[in-house]
Amino acid sequence: MKNKTTRFLITSLIGVALLCVFVFAFFAIHMSHQSSRTINEVGTLYMSSMSQQISVHFESIINLRLEQLEVLADTIPSDEVHRNQALQEKLISGAEARDFSYLAFYHNDGTVEMLYGPQLTITDPEPFLESLRSDEKKAAIGTNPRGEKVVVLGVPSPHETTAEHDCAALVAGLPVTYISSNLSLEENSERAYSFIIRRDGSFVIRSNDAYRNNYFERVRVLYEDVNGMSAEQYLEELEEAMRTGRDYSNEFTMGGERYHLYCTCLPYSEWYLITFLPYGAMDTIVSGFSREWGTMTVVSAIVVLSALLLVFFKYFGLTRQQLREVEAARSAAEAAQKEAEHANRAKSEFLSNMSHDIRTPMNAIVGMTAIATANLKDSQQVQHCLKKITLSSKHLLGLINDVLDMSKIESGKMTLNMDQVSLREVVDGIVSICQPQVKAKQQQFDVFIHDISTEEVLCDSVRLNQVLLNLLSNAIKFTPEGGEIHMALGEEESPKGEGYVRVCIQVRDNGIGMSKEFMNHIFDSFAREDSARVHRTEGTGLGMAIAKFIVVDAMGGAIDVKSEQGKGTEFNVTLDLEKALTIEEDMILPNWNMLVVDDDRQLCESTVAALSSIGVNAEWTLDGESALTMVVQRHRRGDGYQIILLDWKLPGIDGIATARHIRQELGEDVPILLISAYDWGEIEAEAKSAGITGFISKPLFKSTLFNSLRQFAEGEQEEKEEKRRSEASRNLEGRRILVAEDNELNWEIAFELLSAEGLVLEWAENGQICVEKLLAAPAGYYDAVLMDVRMPVMGGYEATQVIRSLDHPDHDLPIIAMTADAFAEDVKRSLECGMNAHVAKPIDVREVMHLLDKYINA
Amino acid sequence: MTLKECYAALGGDYDEAIGRLRSERLVQKFVLKFLDDGSYDLLCRSLEGGNQEEAFRAAHTIKGVCSNLAFTKLLDSSSRLTELLREGGGDPEEVGKLFEQVQEDYRRAAQAIQSFREEAEA
Repeated sequence: MKNKTTRFLITSLIGVALLCVFVFAFFAIHMSHQSSRTINEVGTLYMSSMSQQISVHFESIINLRLEQLEVLADTIPSDEVHRNQALQEKLISGAEARDFSYLAFYHNDGTVEMLYGPQLTITDPEPFLESLRSDEKKAAIGTNPRGEKVVVLGVPSPHETTAEHDCAALVAGLPVTYISSNLSLEENSERAYSFIIRRDGSFVIRSNDAYRNNYFERVRVLYEDVNGMSAEQYLEELEEAMRTGRDYSNEFTMGGERYHLYCTCLPYSEWYLITFLPYGAMDTIVSGFSREWGTMTVVSAIVVLSALLLVFFKYFGLTRQQLREVEAARSAAEAAQKEAEHANRAKSEFLSNMSHDIRTPMNAIVGMTAIATANLKDSQQVQHCLKKITLSSKHLLGLINDVLDMSKIESGKMTLNMDQVSLREVVDGIVSICQPQVKAKQQQFDVFIHDISTEEVLCDSVRLNQVLLNLLSNAIKFTPEGGEIHMALGEEESPKGEGYVRVCIQVRDNGIGMSKEFMNHIFDSFAREDSARVHRTEGTGLGMAIAKFIVVDAMGGAIDVKSEQGKGTEFNVTLDLEKALTIEEDMILPNWNMLVVDDDRQLCESTVAALSSIGVNAEWTLDGESALTMVVQRHRRGDGYQIILLDWKLPGIDGIATARHIRQELGEDVPILLISAYDWGEIEAEAKSAGITGFISKPLFKSTLFNSLRQFAEGEQEEKEEKRRSEASRNLEGRRILVAEDNELNWEIAFELLSAEGLVLEWAENGQICVEKLLAAPAGYYDAVLMDVRMPVMGGYEATQVIRSLDHPDHDLPIIAMTADAFAEDVKRSLECGMNAHVAKPIDVREVMHLLDKYINA
Repeated sequence: MTLKECYAALGGDYDEAIGRLRSERLVQKFVLKFLDDGSYDLLCRSLEGGNQEEAFRAAHTIKGVCSNLAFTKLLDSSSRLTELLREGGGDPEEVGKLFEQVQEDYRRAAQAIQSFREEAEA
């Protein structure tokens, strides 16, 4: 498309340019042609008028002279002229007075009788004589004895001069120069020049530079070109014109200059006036004009062409631009189409994978159901089938859940359910879920924690679990039997500020790894490496896409992956989680001295740090031997460890052996806890016999440590509880409480327990009595009522309503329901009746005291 | 027979009771008093006399006492009977069945306490 348009544009440009050049050239040529024709016409007009003028002038001169001659001739009497000497002298003097250089009688026989001046010979006398005889005036040319040309004028004068000669005419001569000067033939020579010739071409009056006697000869030699004709042709035309007496005009080039020629007959003679007008000046003007015209033409052609070019290039540029845009749009559309096709293909692949994946467990379910149906009697077989069906169903459910999650994600409907989450619980939960799978594949599974400062965070625990389970189950799935799987959890400062903590989770395995190409797509939906080795592995290929969505898009964290084929895979998840705003339970243990023994230095350090944060002075060492030394040394100093944490697997002597040695040295007093793998069933018996007090399971969160260790601080713990209780008791010291309770035993229990807290108690056996007692008492006598609900005579609800409606200053005293009914409706009903709170039996002194404190001292 | 053994015999949670009442002395005092409590007699009488409401209240009281004393087994059966009798409803046959259970549990408890008292007095 681009080339076509460009070609069209270029072609049309060239075409228009050529047309332009052609039109302008045509005009230029045409105009120049036209102008030269016009100039020719002008020249011809000018010439002819000038020639006419010259010829008129000539005629008038000749006429004048002829008249003068006639006057002279009239003076001649018709007889005996030449005898009369006086007459002759008179004629001569008259002629001299009129500047004639000659005077003669011309006789009929052609003889000339000179009266005055030298002898003349008339050139070509015949026509001259003929004219005179027929009584016409005539001019002719003659030569004197010196060879000079003389214009001869003749006037008929028929008289006898002598006896033998008849006189025909009186003839007078004039020098040629007279004519030429009078005709101003020479003065004009710069622009135009004229000369007179006779019919045979001989000059009568020649032009300045003509040195030949005959014009025709001159033409033959000199003339190059006469309007496209040769000199001969020209001469023929000229002679023809002379013969017929027509005027003749033509133009020719001589000496590089153009001339206009005009030839006309002169009257009273056989002469022809030829006038030349050089075009010189006119040509200069015309060629100036032509040049100007040409320049104008060229300039306008250039202007038009450049305008055209400009328009063309602009248009060309625009077209190119449009083409580019169109091209860009097209390629964008193509890319979008490709993407759509790709997504579509991925979905189809996914569908085919899915249908295969769904079919596999479905087949198992259908098949096993059939088998079970056929073997209903064989309970063992049925059980086996049911087990298989359960497994397949679970798998199928997992698949469907993944697909649902994915569609939730794709439709943007997955939202997080943020709640307080304990990282310890999350990790413990995941570990216990993964444990069976890890065991089945005989893989080594380790969990490390480090630098945990905040265990309680705000997060969606379900989704967090889902991510970790995805990562771990992938690690288990893609790690061959006997491989290693590590999970590490750490915390660091969050860039989001004080209220947040950055949680870093690493899941690492030494399994089959992934190809580079696949790593680029691992987080895409529907991705699963399509190679033979993973073909048997089940899954939707959605797990990682879901994990990525949860971590990155929903939780604003990061997930990245490092992997090498055959070496293993490492996933790192980083999340900035908000710290949960809980007043951490007073996790304070007594100021014990503790020893932590583990071959993992990181674990030791992190555990010691966690212990010191809950008030324990802990030391650590990496092996059993040094532990033994430390224990014995401190024991001898009398500053022994109160509790010892021992790892099972230690270099050198293991944990159990170490424990045995310690027991030998220290006896039974010091609790020794075994930091254990996650399932200690196998070693429990051996450990107990070696003197291990108990187990503590990895990972060692602060709360894990606290919960495991606080049993050894029970006594001290109770003291604290006591202290807290007495605080509430102090506030309620001496307060009088009315207990409405129909059962004596229950009353006694309440009495015993609450009296011990310093309360004064009075008993009302039912609601009726309760109301009466209250009415009888002065204002402020009772501080609160503990009300059973089910009583004879008057129940608790009724009694409360009566009390609330009493006209007694204490009608709004605190009433707390205390009943064996603990359903939500019961609580609701109690409050509706006007009670302040509800406690369920069995009686919890702490709770009752707390509530009483709350309502009485409100 | 210790008090703990007595609890084991009557199907109760000794530790819970100690936890709530704080001393063995108190637990023992209330356990012995349990035999004097008239709620069981009331329950029997009411059920025989067809007094559903009274029977419910009696069962309810037994439930409350048992929960305070952590007589787990009797608490369980009496609770179920309480719920059955609540709002005066309940299929008589089912009530009969449950009542038998309560009777059995009560007799067992009474027996255990009886022998404990005899030993304590001796």
